[in-house]
Amino acid sequence: MGARENILRRIRAAQGRTGSEPTEAEMALVRETLARREIGPQPAFAHAPDRLAQFRKECDRLGTTHATVRSEAEVPGEVARYLSETGLELRLAGWREYAGLDWPGAGVAFEGRPARDGDATGLTGCFCAIAETGTTLLLSAPETPKVTALLPETHLCVVHAARVLDTMEDAFALLRQEVGEPPRSAFFVSGPSRTADIEQTIVIGAHGPYRVHAILIEP
Amino acid sequence: MKVGLFVTCLVDLSRPGIGFAALKLLESAGCEVVVPESQTCCGQPGYNSGGREIAKSLARKVLAEFRGCDYVVAPSGSCSGQMKVATVHDLFKGEPDLPEFETLAAKWFELSDFLVNVLKVHKVPGTYDGTVTYHDSCSGLRELGVKMQPRYLLQMAGAQIAEMEGSERCCGFGGTFSIKLGEISTRMCEGKCESIRASGARAIVGGDLGCLLNIEGRLRRTGDTTTKVLHFAQVIAGEG
Amino acid sequence: MLVQSMHFKQRASEKLGDALLQGNMRKAKGKFVDGRAKAVAEFGVWEELRTHAAKIRDRAIANLDAYLVEFERNATRRGAVVHWAESAEDACRIIVEIALQNGVKKVAKSKSMVSEEVNLNERMEAAGLQVIETDLGEYILQLAHEPPSHIVAPAVHKSKEQVADLFVAAHGKPRLTEIPAMTREAREALRGHFLTADMGISGSNFIIAETGTTLTVTNEGNADMVTTLPRIHCVITGIEKVIGTMEDFAALIRLLPRSAIGQTITNYLTVTTGIKMPDEADGPEQMHIVLVDAGRTRLVGSDMQEMLRCIRCGACMNHCPVYQNVGGHAYGWVYPGPMGSILTPAYVGLENAGDLPNAATFCGECAVACPVKIPLPDLMRKLREQQFDRKLRPWTERAAIAAWGFVATRPGLYALMSKLGARVASWMGGREGLIHSLPGIDGWTKGRDMPAPAGRTFRELYKRRASHRA
Repeated sequence: MGARENILRRIRAAQGRTGSEPTEAEMALVRETLARREIGPQPAFAHAPDRLAQFRKECDRLGTTHATVRSEAEVPGEVARYLSETGLELRLAGWREYAGLDWPGAGVAFEGRPARDGDATGLTGCFCAIAETGTTLLLSAPETPKVTALLPETHLCVVHAARVLDTMEDAFALLRQEVGEPPRSAFFVSGPSRTADIEQTIVIGAHGPYRVHAILIEP
Repeated sequence: MKVGLFVTCLVDLSRPGIGFAALKLLESAGCEVVVPESQTCCGQPGYNSGGREIAKSLARKVLAEFRGCDYVVAPSGSCSGQMKVATVHDLFKGEPDLPEFETLAAKWFELSDFLVNVLKVHKVPGTYDGTVTYHDSCSGLRELGVKMQPRYLLQMAGAQIAEMEGSERCCGFGGTFSIKLGEISTRMCEGKCESIRASGARAIVGGDLGCLLNIEGRLRRTGDTTTKVLHFAQVIAGEG
Repeated sequence: MLVQSMHFKQRASEKLGDALLQGNMRKAKGKFVDGRAKAVAEFGVWEELRTHAAKIRDRAIANLDAYLVEFERNATRRGAVVHWAESAEDACRIIVEIALQNGVKKVAKSKSMVSEEVNLNERMEAAGLQVIETDLGEYILQLAHEPPSHIVAPAVHKSKEQVADLFVAAHGKPRLTEIPAMTREAREALRGHFLTADMGISGSNFIIAETGTTLTVTNEGNADMVTTLPRIHCVITGIEKVIGTMEDFAALIRLLPRSAIGQTITNYLTVTTGIKMPDEADGPEQMHIVLVDAGRTRLVGSDMQEMLRCIRCGACMNHCPVYQNVGGHAYGWVYPGPMGSILTPAYVGLENAGDLPNAATFCGECAVACPVKIPLPDLMRKLREQQFDRKLRPWTERAAIAAWGFVATRPGLYALMSKLGARVASWMGGREGLIHSLPGIDGWTKGRDMPAPAGRTFRELYKRRASHRA
């Protein structure tokens, strides 16, 4: 369409270049620069000696509650404890990878399907977590729907200690290594949703969950 | 060491005592001071109003007038910022006389910075018995790093400093802004006066006469006839 | 958005007298300014990161065409359709066409400043579409039929009582008094819209060339709703938002929330690349990305180019003493504060926004706060130079500067006139030494006295002293 050529031509002319399309040589140079994946200055606390402690500290800052268990087998018990202490029904929609855990034993009704509006609690895992900011990264895929972390009022997130990394750059490097490219949705969650749009007063629970509870598995 | 004194147009016109205080401070520290008679203005009002050529011609005039000096000192952060920063980073970029302006910028100092960091004075002629609060003028602070120097000098004179909340916040002068957008300027100035009152100090001291006239003008209009408004040069020269 | 910037002085005057606004601005300033200061103090390598960020933004702008082409290639490969819009009108036309071609009735929007620039909502509503703003602040303003007054906290000028009144009228429920309850009511009202919208429109904080990614950062989660639930997702973004790599994003996201509101990170980063895969449970079937020029290419290669680095954090306006006193609506268009004083003339014409670059004392707070080191005061000064050269300021201002320059370059004349001026003004000051009113400077004397000069100039006193000594 004419608009594309016009815009590119104007940009190029303003920078002393002719035509309306970058040349192959120009593109090659740019791709080379991008491929270097230059990392900028990172704060000291991004490389904390105790990574899990840093992760927990940032969770505290943002309002993500957290608990630690020793294996996935202990997850249903922790979920039951958390839900009853919080006064919530022992029922949730969860990612299917957790369907095989002993939910009946913990008295929790687990439904292995994407969350719907009206589900009070959703259970997900994560691709990895970032200690610098107390963030969990969820990648979309058929068995890992984003809606389970988004629609319910309470989001429970299973985090394996070995998957807690220092920085976002580390998370991107791992993503490239294991997945290749970012999937449709790379969802970075750092605490429950909030807004301060009315009189700059922070209110927890805007459109996303009111509560995020991280269940750390540290063998 | 020959030190040229750039008096500034505001001091020349309105408060010559500040110029004489600066003179006294430099001479009592052992400088040979020259005051070129033809000096007028550094050109900043023109520069900030978009009159680039006027600003350049005035800067060139200053360059010529102070050529023979080892140092040039001015009792003003904004004029010093004009001659140290605006000339070299903007006005004379790509011009043949840029190197001369770089030389001038290197030997140009705001007065408190000169006294503390070049002359390294340990005493000042004047004494001040009382509590003052200090207003950090924007150019001096953010362009030239003038912050500690005037406070250090005031303490040498025996003054107690009661820091005001928001000492670094703009007083609203901004040159012609004070007239062109006078209502906003007055409101900003009122904010500064509130901070001054809250500090409890009986005198407000600063390093730029434009700010001081602005602040004094608002204090007097709102019925405060007692708070002293002083340039630090006057205080530490013993004329405050 | 309708341009009202030519009325800045008058609107500023009204805002100075608006006690409610003044209170809200004071509250907001404390949070934004103190919040940022604390976050910066904890960070350590803040200045180094600013330098790096300015560099990567400059690199993207210097290679803007190649970055955009690379972005387009990757986004297309992942199933998005990339559209190019030269003007505001083109951007609206493209999006309305997408909506109509796909039988869209309801549109849910997350915040986009560029959509305000191009008047997208009005155009969509004129085409018969229902448009719902989902960012709580923008939702409130949509109910109030008002434009935003801040780019990050759009409803900063509104009180909770005003919001309560708007909600009663819109939701038909009993009037609320507490903010958490109001937020809950808005959540419930908007949840229904998220689930039934046919199309979601999001802005984009950045777009990433190497992956074809668009991304939005929010605390509310509304961008996630809007980009996940409806069957069609449309992104509208300025062309200058393109960055190179995911690592560039990681660097910039350390700066953005801290600069904006003192947060280490926003609750959600919505990093979206392409469309729903066949076996996925959620996600849009179609993704359209509209790249908008609307004046940006005019800045490329100009002496205003550095303004294109802007990452829309709002730190400049938060720290600007003028903005703090008059609020955002006085600026009369989409972008207020220092960045608005530069972008408004750039995008709508200097002749329509003349007071904006003059609404500054050049105190430099904005330049210190800008995470990508845009020399905002210098750019505003350049606009003043353009006004001077194009004779866009009142002739009296030009004449006064010219007269000053004429006299100041003539020392003999200057000495004479300053001698006279000092005497006259000193006499006018009387015993008090204060001038209460002086024609020509009533901008000053309306609110302040002018301390009268001493009566003799330094020049003449120095000369007299020197001759006594000699």
